[in-house]
Amino acid sequence: MSLSCIIVEDLQVAANYLRNCCEKSGQVEVRGHFSNVTDALSFLNSNTVDLIFLDVEMPGANGFELLDQIAFSPKVILTTAKQEYAYNAFQYNVSDYLMKPFTYQRFMEALQKIQPSKETISTNSASDHIYIKTDGKLIRLNNDSILYIESMGDYVKFVTIDGKKYITHNTIKNLEEKVSKQHFLKVHRSYIVNLHKIDDMRENLLFIKGNEIPVSKANKADVFRRLNIV
Amino acid sequence: MNNLKTSNAFVFNAEIDANYLNSLYGDDFVYLQEVFETVLVDYQSLTDNIEYSYSSGNLNALRSAVHKIKPVFGFVGLTAVQQQCQQFEQICGTVSSPDHLSGDFETLKNKIFHSKQLIEEEKKKLEIFNSNCS
Repeated sequence: MSLSCIIVEDLQVAANYLRNCCEKSGQVEVRGHFSNVTDALSFLNSNTVDLIFLDVEMPGANGFELLDQIAFSPKVILTTAKQEYAYNAFQYNVSDYLMKPFTYQRFMEALQKIQPSKETISTNSASDHIYIKTDGKLIRLNNDSILYIESMGDYVKFVTIDGKKYITHNTIKNLEEKVSKQHFLKVHRSYIVNLHKIDDMRENLLFIKGNEIPVSKANKADVFRRLNIV
Repeated sequence: MNNLKTSNAFVFNAEIDANYLNSLYGDDFVYLQEVFETVLVDYQSLTDNIEYSYSSGNLNALRSAVHKIKPVFGFVGLTAVQQQCQQFEQICGTVSSPDHLSGDFETLKNKIFHSKQLIEEEKKKLEIFNSNCS
């Protein structure tokens, strides 16, 4: 098994089918099935997983509300067919949609999409710079030149102090482990910011050179700990 | 829609898309029996939810309830009913009240009721088929 997952799905036949696909693949360990967001959240408050198979329309809170409240950034595969969730899906770094019912082949295609990309960035977390692979070349970015990093689905955007934007195939989750902890902090599932570049903070927003960066409830305590508040 | 059978000599009801089921489960008729059983366990609460949403005049809840049962029909090969649910969902988005849906709702309700009988019959056939195979 290489991936741990949970299934958040209130339709029993769909959850059973999904579990069956996971077992058949031999690549995914199902650590739980939850039929509502509250129960899933309770599990995720004390456990982490690599992947969530997530239905959106469920009794009570919807699937995106779950993603708002967890403190880490698992991969997410939606098990819904609704087109109107496309914008939210982009915002939440959703890897794929599975329209119920889906074939095993389609399930495996979704799994392939979530394999972590490990070759697009080269860094040492103690280093003062990183290299990113973009437009077919490796570009050096000094830590001090980066304002923030934003998720764009399967890609991330580096925004630098000179106003340039560099897009590379990677994920916030992967970068969180690679960038300098001294400089950078994940403040939202879609954002890592350079702590040295924050101008001010109001409510749940950070301001960096005119850019508004949301801070999630789950990450707010970390932000306060890292800011040099006197 | 397929009229007949799939491999292993099991003959599905003409309303069931046998090729579609084959794409989901292959020749695993034991698992397919489990699927039919699971669907029947949840069926009543899913249909009750549809009835209640309609009778209470809650259009959003009605659309959501039909959306919820929709894939169930796919899991048992009733792809035409699944499509009918999809169309009903779309109609829900074009009206301001469930009162405007009475004709469409009755048609869907009858189809859902009929489908339950069909699923029960297929489940029994699968039980017999699988017991003969074991």
